[in-house]
Amino acid sequence: MAKRRFNLAPYLLILPSFIYLVLFFAWPMGRSLQLAFQKDAEILPVRAEIADDAAVVGYLPMQIEVAITDRERSEETLPNGRTRPVYWFKIAGESEDGEQVEGWVNQKYLQVQSRTESTSARVVSGEGTKEWTLDWIKRMVNDHNFMDALTTTLLLLILILPLQFALAITMALVLQARLKGSTIFLYIYAIPLGVSDLAAGLVWVNIFTQHGFLNTFLQKLGLIDSPYIFLSADNKHWMIIAIVLAEVWRATSIVMVIVVSGLQSIPDEYLEAGQLFGASLWQRLRHIILPLLRPSLQVALILRTILAFQVFAVVVALTGGRVITVLAYETYRWYDPGDTGFNNPNVAAAYAGFIMLISLAFSVIYLRTVRTQEEAASS
Amino acid sequence: MTTAAQKRTTTRSVALDAAQRRALRNLRLQRAGVYALAILIAVWILLPIWLIATMAFSTQADVYAYPKQIIPVPFTTATMDFFLNYAGILDATLNSVLVALITLVLSTAIAVPAGYAISRYIFPGRNSYRLIILAVRAFPIVILAVPLAVAFLQWGMFDKVYSVALMHTALTLPTTILVVSSVFASVPVEFEEAARVFGASPARAFVRVVFPLVLPGIAASAIFTFVMSWNEVFAATLLTVRNRTLPALILYTLNKSSLQFQYAGGFFMLVPSMIFIFFIRRYLFNMWGQITK
Amino acid sequence: MAEIRVENAIKRFGKVTAVDDVSLTVNDQEFVVLLGPSGCGKTTLLRAIAGLGMVDSGRIMIGTRDVTYLPPKDRGISMVFQSYAIFPHMKVYDNVAFGLQMKRAPKAEIEERVQQASKLLHIEEYLDRYPGQLSGGQRQRVAVARAIAVRSEVLLMDEPLSNLDALLRLEMRAELKRLLAEISATTIYVTHDQIEALSMGDRIAVMRNGKLLQFDSPMKVYDVPADRFVGGFIGSPPMNFLEGQVQRQNGSARVVVNDHVLTPTPEMAPVLAGYDGKPIVVGIRAENMEALAEPAPDALRVKVLVVEPLGSQNLLTIQIGHNVIKVSTHPDFHVAPNQDIWIRFPIDKIRWIDRETGKTLIPDLEKLVTP
Repeated sequence: MAKRRFNLAPYLLILPSFIYLVLFFAWPMGRSLQLAFQKDAEILPVRAEIADDAAVVGYLPMQIEVAITDRERSEETLPNGRTRPVYWFKIAGESEDGEQVEGWVNQKYLQVQSRTESTSARVVSGEGTKEWTLDWIKRMVNDHNFMDALTTTLLLLILILPLQFALAITMALVLQARLKGSTIFLYIYAIPLGVSDLAAGLVWVNIFTQHGFLNTFLQKLGLIDSPYIFLSADNKHWMIIAIVLAEVWRATSIVMVIVVSGLQSIPDEYLEAGQLFGASLWQRLRHIILPLLRPSLQVALILRTILAFQVFAVVVALTGGRVITVLAYETYRWYDPGDTGFNNPNVAAAYAGFIMLISLAFSVIYLRTVRTQEEAASS
Repeated sequence: MTTAAQKRTTTRSVALDAAQRRALRNLRLQRAGVYALAILIAVWILLPIWLIATMAFSTQADVYAYPKQIIPVPFTTATMDFFLNYAGILDATLNSVLVALITLVLSTAIAVPAGYAISRYIFPGRNSYRLIILAVRAFPIVILAVPLAVAFLQWGMFDKVYSVALMHTALTLPTTILVVSSVFASVPVEFEEAARVFGASPARAFVRVVFPLVLPGIAASAIFTFVMSWNEVFAATLLTVRNRTLPALILYTLNKSSLQFQYAGGFFMLVPSMIFIFFIRRYLFNMWGQITK
Repeated sequence: MAEIRVENAIKRFGKVTAVDDVSLTVNDQEFVVLLGPSGCGKTTLLRAIAGLGMVDSGRIMIGTRDVTYLPPKDRGISMVFQSYAIFPHMKVYDNVAFGLQMKRAPKAEIEERVQQASKLLHIEEYLDRYPGQLSGGQRQRVAVARAIAVRSEVLLMDEPLSNLDALLRLEMRAELKRLLAEISATTIYVTHDQIEALSMGDRIAVMRNGKLLQFDSPMKVYDVPADRFVGGFIGSPPMNFLEGQVQRQNGSARVVVNDHVLTPTPEMAPVLAGYDGKPIVVGIRAENMEALAEPAPDALRVKVLVVEPLGSQNLLTIQIGHNVIKVSTHPDFHVAPNQDIWIRFPIDKIRWIDRETGKTLIPDLEKLVTP
């Protein structure tokens, strides 16, 4: 009788995606941390016997004094067939961890006064290796742009999110009112979903630039006499406002869609019950809609927060990136080998790691939320 | 006596009518208010697009003119022509389309089996896999362009169209898997079972019944993948030097480029996205709603 | 010939045993209803027979073939799904023709059979439409037409009427019964609706918690339920249960219910004798009690709590001690709540149920014959 076998099919089906994510997600993530925390260094391997392939008994750092306890002269054959003397020294020194290391090294790694006489030597070279370092992190943190980038990113987050959520909830409620032509409204409200951050930035440059539409409008209203230069280094607050508007314009649609999905899962009876008992719109919003929407709002909030740490092209388009800088732009600038960049992938990786770290914290909260929701749904 | 009673009832009914009329008027007012709000929000979204469109179709003089006109008179394609004929734009557009197409094919080809697996099978590890996908989905993947750029340089894969596509696939894959699985989940298992009961092999059941039903949803997801790749700028900028994609080229030349170049470029990038979103509008909730589930 | 034999079928989902060692044989061309509350394993069993879920152990035979591990397509079955599962992207015609197309039947034969099946189900005029344009009842007909068009010897139906509204369900019930009598297929029909089971099946298999409790004709299942659960599950209102006490007097057993003495039939007496001094459950159907307006010597006085006139009968809720039971009376029997009436128990209609095991006691026929 055939026994029911373990079903391999689903594993085969998810295998390609799993491999892809290991190659292009897990691996680069590890590599990124390596770039951020490692640098090239030299270290001297000390060997148990007189041979280049002998076992290593320990490593010594560069530029330390070591004691010579023994020496051995051997011959080295040169390409032309002649030989020359080569010394191997038995040395004793302290490793970086403070351990005593004693063993043999080739003379080429040491600086010795006299090969036959000296009782001490200096370590001058070794083998290339990777060393853990906080140099890149320090360099990132000490860079004068770092605090600027961090505070601006956070400031944008704080300014954008409340506006976005208020607008998204309004949009969702308007759509939910099922007006005639609500499908057209839905399409219009969804357009920004397909708009790139760069295009959004350019769209708003057109409005905020010196000879742009905002100035035209203000002048037509008689509020100003001549065009005001909003996007200048002296007007950082206007630049921030322009970025906030562009981001609210572009990225509210995602929140709207999540909120509408959430609204659709609320049974109409709940809202109708609220209406029957004489609740006003505000009361319904406050006591029925928002509490029921909480799971959707939580998820949208976390997703938007993580996306906000990656804000990039809008800022570059509206400010050129230099006056107002954000974390993602600093990553780009440190990496970029061009004339504005520093061509330092290590510091760029440090920035990337920093963004990852903040996002990771939010991802964990996000997963928790999704999980508790799934549990709530399944119970 | 009777007349007084009658009178009372008539006045009451008139009063009632007035109350009803008031209620009706309030209802209409409320409805008009919601309409006004709906239109206001629509204007907020459409106006900036209209304004950049007017610039894209104005003469060069009008682009720099002040004060601005809200209608492009005279209407001209000169600015768009200037942009499209600008050195490298055509190549960059081609690169962008290529990258987006490769991303679309790769991403869909990998996501369809995975999405099918998590929507149709219950297996040990399914939940962990789903959580991993959700976690990756929320992760700032573009940031990984930094180590990938370094690695691609070492492997001789730097500045290639396909390497940008590889990066973009990593970016879109989690979303695509989630969307595709929700598309499969929307086709009841009973359809497949019915096909099998009536004589179809599992493969034939898939081809005859499941595939036609999921096709529109998967097409929508593929279009969305295309749009995500078409729009992506950070990774594309890091991974290319000469073979730039359109957004990467526009971003890189921002400091040096004229306003008309920027407006035309902005508008040019907007158009395909707007068209694509129109085609997939019915699937939007399917796609993004899934993330909350 | 397509007899269906299920032998010792066991199916587990994790810790839950959905089908627990079930054996049953459905005769050729018989109409068997699998009945039970939701989660009892009836659908799991049906799916195992269909090949949509394999049993963990046991054997399933269709005709002379062992189909336990065959894929559904090779079992020679057709099926009507609870959700109909008619393909939304195919026209009604192609839906009905699907099974035949899969078998690569000749075009002319397909055409003929589709016409025949759709005529039987009165859907000829919808053949060109898509399922989305049909009402729920029409879709149901398409699903049935698809199932009978293939003319397989075995027809499986998974709660086919549960998605219809009450009136349509009543209509389809009669129509399905007529139809199934016409097409001579061995049919297994899953439902949780006991009225459907009673009115349609040749035999009913009652399941609970994965176990087969009783497999008998509808009348037998109704009249002599195998245990307390079956009695309570089948019939509307369900069987009444009263707590009684077995007492022995003058060598013969009798049962006392709330001071009222019931003397069992001669066949039952020896069985009940073994329960001397123990409690016993007395099961009786509402229509089997006689309600009297006046006291009678062998009747028990009870208080009426609720009176529900149902047209063809009056349903009374009455109290006997701590038990509340239902009695159905002739519609002319006039009574008001809180009034006292008298109830007479016809002794041959009483089922005696072991209080511990819940099993209905049956007379030990051998003992009756031997003395």
